Amino acid sequence: MKSKKFLACILAGVMAMSMAACGGTDVATAGDEAAANGSEAMETGASTEAPTEAELNIMMSFPQYMDQWESYCHKFEEKMLAEKNVKVTVNLEMPSSDQYETILQTRLTGDDAPDLFTLHANNIGTYNQAGNLADLSGEALAGKIYENVKETVSVDGKLLAVPIESQAWGVLYNKDIFAQYDLTPPETLSDLKSICETLNSNGVTPFLLAFQEQWVPQLMTGLTLGDIVSGKIPDWLERMYKDEGSYEEVKEIFDVIDLIMANGTDRAMEEGSEAGSADFAIGKAAMYVQGTWAANTIMATNPDMNLGVFALPINDDPNCTRVNLSTSTTLAVYPGTQNMDLALAFANYVLDDADSSELFQSCSFNPLATCHNYESSSWVKEASEYVAAGKAYQDLVIPSAVTDEQGRLLQEYYVGDTTVEEIIQKLDLAFQNTNSLK
Amino acid sequence: MKKKQLISNCLVYSFLFIGALYTLFPLFMALMNSLKTNGELLTNVMSLPQQLHAENYTRTFEKMKYFRSLGNTVLLAGVSVTLIILFSALAGWKLCRTKTKLSRFLFGLFVFSMLIPFSSIMIPLYKVTLVLHMKNSLFGLSLVYAGLGVSMAIFLYHGFVKGIPIELEESAGIDGSSSLQTFFYIIMPLLKPITTTICITNVLWVWNDFLLPLIIISNNKKYTLLLSTNTLFGQYSSDWTAILSALILAAIPVIIFYAVFQKQILKGIAEGAVKG
Amino acid sequence: MKNKKNPNRSLLIFCAPALLVYKIFKLYPAVSGIFYALTDWNGINKTYHFVGFSNFIEICGDSYFWNAMWFTLKYVLAIVVVANVVALLLAVAIESRPKGKGFFRTIFYMPNMISMVIGGYMWMFIFTKVLYYMADNWNMKFLDKSWIGNPKYSFVAIITVAAWGAVGYLMIIYMAALQGVPTELKAAASLDGANAWKIFWNVTFPLIGHAVTICVFWSLNSGFQVFDVIYALTGGGPGRATQSAAINIYEEAFKGNIRYGYATAKSMVLFLIVLLITMIQLRISKGKEEEL
Repeated sequence: MKSKKFLACILAGVMAMSMAACGGTDVATAGDEAAANGSEAMETGASTEAPTEAELNIMMSFPQYMDQWESYCHKFEEKMLAEKNVKVTVNLEMPSSDQYETILQTRLTGDDAPDLFTLHANNIGTYNQAGNLADLSGEALAGKIYENVKETVSVDGKLLAVPIESQAWGVLYNKDIFAQYDLTPPETLSDLKSICETLNSNGVTPFLLAFQEQWVPQLMTGLTLGDIVSGKIPDWLERMYKDEGSYEEVKEIFDVIDLIMANGTDRAMEEGSEAGSADFAIGKAAMYVQGTWAANTIMATNPDMNLGVFALPINDDPNCTRVNLSTSTTLAVYPGTQNMDLALAFANYVLDDADSSELFQSCSFNPLATCHNYESSSWVKEASEYVAAGKAYQDLVIPSAVTDEQGRLLQEYYVGDTTVEEIIQKLDLAFQNTNSLK
Repeated sequence: MKKKQLISNCLVYSFLFIGALYTLFPLFMALMNSLKTNGELLTNVMSLPQQLHAENYTRTFEKMKYFRSLGNTVLLAGVSVTLIILFSALAGWKLCRTKTKLSRFLFGLFVFSMLIPFSSIMIPLYKVTLVLHMKNSLFGLSLVYAGLGVSMAIFLYHGFVKGIPIELEESAGIDGSSSLQTFFYIIMPLLKPITTTICITNVLWVWNDFLLPLIIISNNKKYTLLLSTNTLFGQYSSDWTAILSALILAAIPVIIFYAVFQKQILKGIAEGAVKG
Repeated sequence: MKNKKNPNRSLLIFCAPALLVYKIFKLYPAVSGIFYALTDWNGINKTYHFVGFSNFIEICGDSYFWNAMWFTLKYVLAIVVVANVVALLLAVAIESRPKGKGFFRTIFYMPNMISMVIGGYMWMFIFTKVLYYMADNWNMKFLDKSWIGNPKYSFVAIITVAAWGAVGYLMIIYMAALQGVPTELKAAASLDGANAWKIFWNVTFPLIGHAVTICVFWSLNSGFQVFDVIYALTGGGPGRATQSAAINIYEEAFKGNIRYGYATAKSMVLFLIVLLITMIQLRISKGKEEEL
């Protein structure tokens, strides 16, 4: 009796397995069909002069520039067909920015990496360690990038990504409002305080606050920490990485953060970054702690906007008042790509001598390579003056877990859920945790 | 007595009326504001649109590649639900009619897994689909839905079969004909009420599911309706008119589906839940 | 005759297709998930190490996770009570009047048809634009609250939206149960001089006990896994104030330090807690139903 049961089980098992095999092949054929077609085309391509076919998968994190990049990809397809006789199909994916990292990581771990993908320059170190970035030092593009930008995308002298968005940034301000009340950009915290007083007494809200997305309040720490480290405690970050520092040392940054929060627009937690840019453009407040990347939305909302940039002061030492030099978005090539030649060709094409300027200008990106010959916007020039005067610092590379934590805690701080002491304690802990995982 | 009746009627109906207002409010606001210009929307969200700005719709319609996404979603939901019904009707019926240790074990296995949260199987599941070359395949995705959906459906079929007298099957001559034939000609028709329910709940589940297609489908030619809508959020995050018109466009098919099959849906949901 | 001799064989044949897809797409990922929970896999690196139970030990001291767990418990409690009470009230109200049954039923069920991703965005519009407009222009100052930003109010906002999505479903189940209550019983009770409340409590309610069990079970189970509503509305913020357990796990896996192994371990803990609570609930309601 028992053996019969056993036999039945085995039988059923075998059947199930054979079904599995059937199912498996079924699926495989469905999926492989496209691949088979592709290789067929390859073969015919090799024997005659018909173009070879290829696919290039690109993932980018800024859906707001979908149109610009889509047409750029089309240009690339045409160029490849004309120059190399390759019929490229570019699959451009633009997940929304809050899901971008999730999708990218699932893909990279799932051995399904896109051929090219964007990432924040501050993450280059982490991704490089995991072996996800190809070395681009030998490419033509390497020679075109400005030296100070190149530093931000290189590790140990190896160029690992193509910079796309790079900027000097600080606080955006409405020049018309400033002119109306005879105000000039502040050099010290006291200056900023008196600006706020003047504006308040004239019924103008000084700062626009849009804290709904964590990365926006986080910009305040980005600017103030950079100020204090470059002007006052140069070894702070280094010590933080060795568990020998504390946020207690840079507590000063809360002076200006308090000032901004106390002099800002209402309902900050309900205001997204884009909505904030739009509101700033129509004059709801005079200043906005936001990078120059917001300029596109601002100028689209109000083309007559007179936009300016100043460095955020944190104390009464003008030496600490500097702008932040950072590269936010970069484009990397996945080293395991099947189409290395094409992927590299695209990376080079991003900084193409003939076409790149138009693309960068249409997205209001700043010029960052010798191939960019367009006139940069007035606010970019204004920020560049700080750089020229040596009043700038390279964006601090803080682990992204800590950066996220900063944004979260500042949100909590704004709604009154936490205190400065708690923030210091939690940030120290977050930094140590990240260190311990290395 | 009559007066009392009137007052209670008034109370009940005003309660229901307020409830209905609350339910329809977001839908109505979305519809109304999607027909305005962005400037109009920003100045007054409560006013009726001065002019119907259908161009919001034509723009999002094109951007979403509406018909293609809709077709993909219909295909995905159709195949997934067919598989779920076929697979789980076979299993659910047999599991209920067989009284052995193995059947109890299998049934327990299916039911137990209903509690496993999706987040804990997400990445391993993604790896499985890659190994099987199911990436970007709508058919592959429907197999995944079948795998995730069978346990609940088996549970429902199992419960339903329990209520069917076994004599019905026996009188049909289960010994004479092969089991599979019995199944399709005798059992399936008997299961029709619960099949409708399972069909409806699963169509809604697959249709409205977001995270799974998000990680499995990356080729925008295969995008489902929700995925296309989601890409629009990123592109127009400050333009509420564009977002709202996309939301309405994404909601329209389910609302039509609801309008047409309302009776079956409501009946199916109730019966499914109570019998399960 | 053959079938009767080998019941297991034909059982396996019938179950084979279901078992196959189930094993590949649910069981195997779940089991390999347990394996990942014992590693330090970080989601980016290709290599990982076996770390035993250290992930689970770390969870015990992870205050963020337990805060999220506590928030989830509060959420579950609120949504189970609010959604079920409202659904039952609506069901009773609709069933008690002869007119407008179909109309109201249709409307109340509608949100259930729409994806919570879409519903969430629609509500976002209400909370960030419409309510402020009403507060500013219609002098409805009580609406001038930080609905998304202040954890106190965003909890209300989250429950509002979640209930909006869930009430219709529960109401349909209650209505079906109410229709099953024989009218003669109610009529008899009313002849005995019982008032409406007494009739409901003593006659109707015991008879729909089964529906109550189902509805509580459903709202409890889906409540513990809550993700989309919170994700669409507050994203878990401000800070971590409205993080549910599922959001905490998601963030652990995909944001910041990207600790996939640790996140999986957390999801195991969540699973065990849910399992425990559901079992307790089922046992209690089973006991009660038998009593009745």
